[in-house]
Amino acid sequence: MTSEAAALAGKEHSGPGFWSSFADNERWLWPAMLAPAVLYIVLLVGFPFFLSIYYSFTDVTVGGRDLHFVGLQNFNRILESSTFWLALKNTIILTVISQVCILVMASILAQALSVNFRGKWLVRLLILLPWVAPIALGSIGWLWIFDSIYSVINWTGRAIGILGPNDWPIWLGQPNLAMASIIIVQIWRILPLATVIILAGLTSIPQDLHDAAAVDGAGPFRRYFQITAPLIRPITLVAVLFGIIFTFTDLIVVFVLTRGGPYDQTQVLATWAYFTGIQGGDLAGGAAISLFLFPVLVAVAIIFLRFARRTEVL
Amino acid sequence: MSEEKPRKSRNPATGITRRTVVKGAGAAGLAASAGPFFFTRPAQAAKTLRILQWSHFIPGYDKWFNTQYVKEWGAKNGTEVIVDNINLGLIPSRAAAEVSAQKGHDLVMFLAPPSVYEDQVVDMKDVYAECEKRYGKPIDLAVKSTYNPKTKKYFAFSDSFVPDPVNYRTDLWGDIGMTPNSWDDVRAGGKKIKDKTGIPIGIGLSAELDTAMAMRALMYSFGASEQDAEGNLAINSKETLEAIKFMKALFQEAETPEVLAWDPSSNNRQMLAGRSSLVLNAISVTRTGENDKLPIHEKIAVSKALQGPVRRIGLEHVMDCYVIWKFSENIDGAKKFLVDYIDNFKQGFMASEFYNFPCFSQTVPDLKQLISKDAKAVPADKYAVLADVLDWATNVGYPGYSNAAIDETFNTWVINTMFAEAATGSETPENALKRAETKMKAIWTKWKERNMI
Amino acid sequence: MEASAAAVECNENLNDMATVEVRSIRKEFAETCAVDGIDLLAKEGEFLVLLGPSGCGKTTLMRMIAGLEQPTAGDIVIGGKVVTHLPPRARNIAMVFQSYALYPHMTVEGNISFPLRAAGMPRDQIERKVAWAAKMFGIERFLNRKPRQLSGGERQRVALARAVVREPVAFLLDEPLSNLDAKLRNSARDELKHLQRELATTMIYVSHDQAEAMGLGDRIAILNQGKLCQVGTPQEIYRNPVDIFTATFIGSPPMNLLEDKDSYTGFRPEDFLPKEIGADGNTVSFPFRVTRVEYLGADRLVYGAIEGRTAATHVISKMPTMLRTEVKAGQLYDFSVRQEDIARFDRSTGARLYGARQ
Repeated sequence: MTSEAAALAGKEHSGPGFWSSFADNERWLWPAMLAPAVLYIVLLVGFPFFLSIYYSFTDVTVGGRDLHFVGLQNFNRILESSTFWLALKNTIILTVISQVCILVMASILAQALSVNFRGKWLVRLLILLPWVAPIALGSIGWLWIFDSIYSVINWTGRAIGILGPNDWPIWLGQPNLAMASIIIVQIWRILPLATVIILAGLTSIPQDLHDAAAVDGAGPFRRYFQITAPLIRPITLVAVLFGIIFTFTDLIVVFVLTRGGPYDQTQVLATWAYFTGIQGGDLAGGAAISLFLFPVLVAVAIIFLRFARRTEVL
Repeated sequence: MSEEKPRKSRNPATGITRRTVVKGAGAAGLAASAGPFFFTRPAQAAKTLRILQWSHFIPGYDKWFNTQYVKEWGAKNGTEVIVDNINLGLIPSRAAAEVSAQKGHDLVMFLAPPSVYEDQVVDMKDVYAECEKRYGKPIDLAVKSTYNPKTKKYFAFSDSFVPDPVNYRTDLWGDIGMTPNSWDDVRAGGKKIKDKTGIPIGIGLSAELDTAMAMRALMYSFGASEQDAEGNLAINSKETLEAIKFMKALFQEAETPEVLAWDPSSNNRQMLAGRSSLVLNAISVTRTGENDKLPIHEKIAVSKALQGPVRRIGLEHVMDCYVIWKFSENIDGAKKFLVDYIDNFKQGFMASEFYNFPCFSQTVPDLKQLISKDAKAVPADKYAVLADVLDWATNVGYPGYSNAAIDETFNTWVINTMFAEAATGSETPENALKRAETKMKAIWTKWKERNMI
Repeated sequence: MEASAAAVECNENLNDMATVEVRSIRKEFAETCAVDGIDLLAKEGEFLVLLGPSGCGKTTLMRMIAGLEQPTAGDIVIGGKVVTHLPPRARNIAMVFQSYALYPHMTVEGNISFPLRAAGMPRDQIERKVAWAAKMFGIERFLNRKPRQLSGGERQRVALARAVVREPVAFLLDEPLSNLDAKLRNSARDELKHLQRELATTMIYVSHDQAEAMGLGDRIAILNQGKLCQVGTPQEIYRNPVDIFTATFIGSPPMNLLEDKDSYTGFRPEDFLPKEIGADGNTVSFPFRVTRVEYLGADRLVYGAIEGRTAATHVISKMPTMLRTEVKAGQLYDFSVRQEDIARFDRSTGARLYGARQ
């Protein structure tokens, strides 16, 4: 096969120009097409990653150029810190709750969007909008929605009578509400992507299958849970894995909304690493904290790979 | 986090002019959301001076500095001056990136003492000396913020600071026949006003700058402090506990949970919305009111730091600290710029609408007269109370110097969290203190190991 | 769901009146009228084929019977009951799709048992039924496989087993053989006919393949542009097409048509034979200039034109090979058609003209 291609390419060498014969030559085209991705991964993912592993075993600061190897000292210090455990717990709670909500809501939304109706493109556009907007910009918008004085939610709630004259929830000031606020923003942020992915899964199911199930006597629920849901399960998994990565590693939403407050109750690993490493100057400590994101991301990556292999067999 | 980490080059630029330039002067809002844009410019021979500083709270200051002052200075010194203004929150990460890349601006202004960068910056001793020759000694606050007594190095140069007075509503306090002179007044009067009108006190308990300053003012005036004068950890004291208990009472009697959710501008908004009887902040509250023509500014008075059981003391609100990187390509130009800037400081004082107070008092000899006849304030002598600010303003880290441990404690909001935990009742005051001490011990140990304190 | 469960239970009774009828049914989509007022009755136990070119409305008609589309007007009556507004699951009919529409995530067993589970049948009964259906189609070996592990023919059997297992009032089959290769298609057609005889259940079968329709159908309904052209047994349709469309749609090669003043004269190629063979009596003869001869094994197709008319008209003769008569390209021959094999159609409406003989 390869020799055939090479022979073919060789034959054409005399005829067409360099580029078209290059494009025909699989032996070179292959690495050439792959190179940008590999470079990207090595330079922008691999290098910083290994640098942060290296840093986490040293005493580097934002202001220091000479590092000393300190072994597991940074990790010991982190494990002894109550804030770290709180941040880890919050990160997990935040990720799990927001992903469960996203899964349910994205499934419903995608289902609704897969039906034909007038103005569907507009609704699709509106739903996609949060995904297109920069996270920081969106989060600042939410900051106003949750503001302690100007909260849109509270004023609306009061206007329509849900909130009494003495009810004035402080969205970002009460630990549970603050957590809920962050979860809401994470849902708002990731829901569009999940919806679009699941929608793609839905539209890939042949209409015949829905028809067959309908004729076979299945009602709407049976059709959804026994036909639709299992068929989109693989692609739903993709949506969830993406969501986990985006939520688990996100710094901006918490940073903009609460900066970990009130009193660290919404601190997550990413913000805690940032406060320690960049603001607090302890780059090594920050790197060590951020490495705790790694096991989860590895797990996600493994699921991804296994999943990719299974779909190849399919 | 790993994406945050910039590439590190072991070889500082050798003779090659830096080609990456941050664009976006005066576009800090944009920078905050979109991040800086990078573009390349050809290497050139003419001298350049690159300055990185925050987008000033008073827009008029940036206008004067960027379009007038640096242009004039540049023309006189044959230098192209490029000023990049970024959101104050982005300064730490920007600085970390520059150090890591060993490339960046020639002058970087921090808003708090950047002790942790000591190894990376040139000693400012000669800049201070030159200014001292012309204007006498700098204020103690400036020295405490930029000098490391252990290494005997001036790691930054402070041209100015921003006072952090009390802002209160004269009408509300007048109605109960009080003025907020002491912390006890604030607690008692705040409660009365809240009970009567529903309007609370607005002293923050959140992970942000204003809270950090207010809580330290409270601690210092109660005789508590993070460290002693020699830099030893001193947080665990009965004075600290008293301060925590006081704040808990103040929160429960005179505040609402909204203070737990705040960012640095929330207290400004609360005051200007008429929803607060008293806040601790720079004069940005009333200045915004005056500039935006909100009539409420006439009802807001400014007063000196609150009297505590031990002393009357407050913080600087912002400490301008300029550093020059060792890898800067125009160290001499940067130093000259600073010295010349002090020569012209009065212009800056005026342009900042009395926001930036001089670290060399003699640069504005008529400060008292100026601030007692303000063009915008109602009454015109509203800011006269700031005349003796140096008698009651101190640095973060009082009674010691600012250092890396103080800096990390500040920036990881340990003190803020301690007060908030106790005030909300999620921890007892004793536990909150114990938890903070544990965290701070770790921080102190760490920086001691690294020979930074 | 309860309704259909009950339906399975009293299947024998329902079979007694297992007719499927559509009454003046119409279906309009945004711009077009897919089905334009069709009345049609599939009798009990009948194999009715809906035949027509693509886009004629046959699939839409079937989907309306299944309940997958709502008619714009008209009624659907299954087993004597008007079901027009009932959902598919309340109609107790089974459908086999062109793509088979097997559930890819379920095993063969899961596929076959799906309708029974949907009907809430007890587990042991399901097992019995699945075993019965699997045996009928010889797919017992595959019960634990997934559809993607089966060949096209095996999948088709699974689809049929899934349809049969619930013993529905009627089967709807949407071109179920078109995805099979030619050889398999012939044997599958045979089996299908056999199956229908055995089950004696009403079957409505959509096809665009006339050979399939002729071979399978008890009756054939010819559809064109949303309208019903003719319903009848294969012989009726073939020998007595009621209009030009049916005449030319059925038969291969199609009926020859000669233009007359206000009508068309039509005759089938196999009725158009050399005069000397042409039997006794009442025949009409034409001077036939042969242009080309094709040998197809059992038959010869003779292409040519009839001379002596205003416009030379191309016609085809289909001669059984057993007729040894020599026919050569370029030659002029006398060919004839028996009078009773000639049909005449109105030139403007295309409708068959009876009576008036030429």
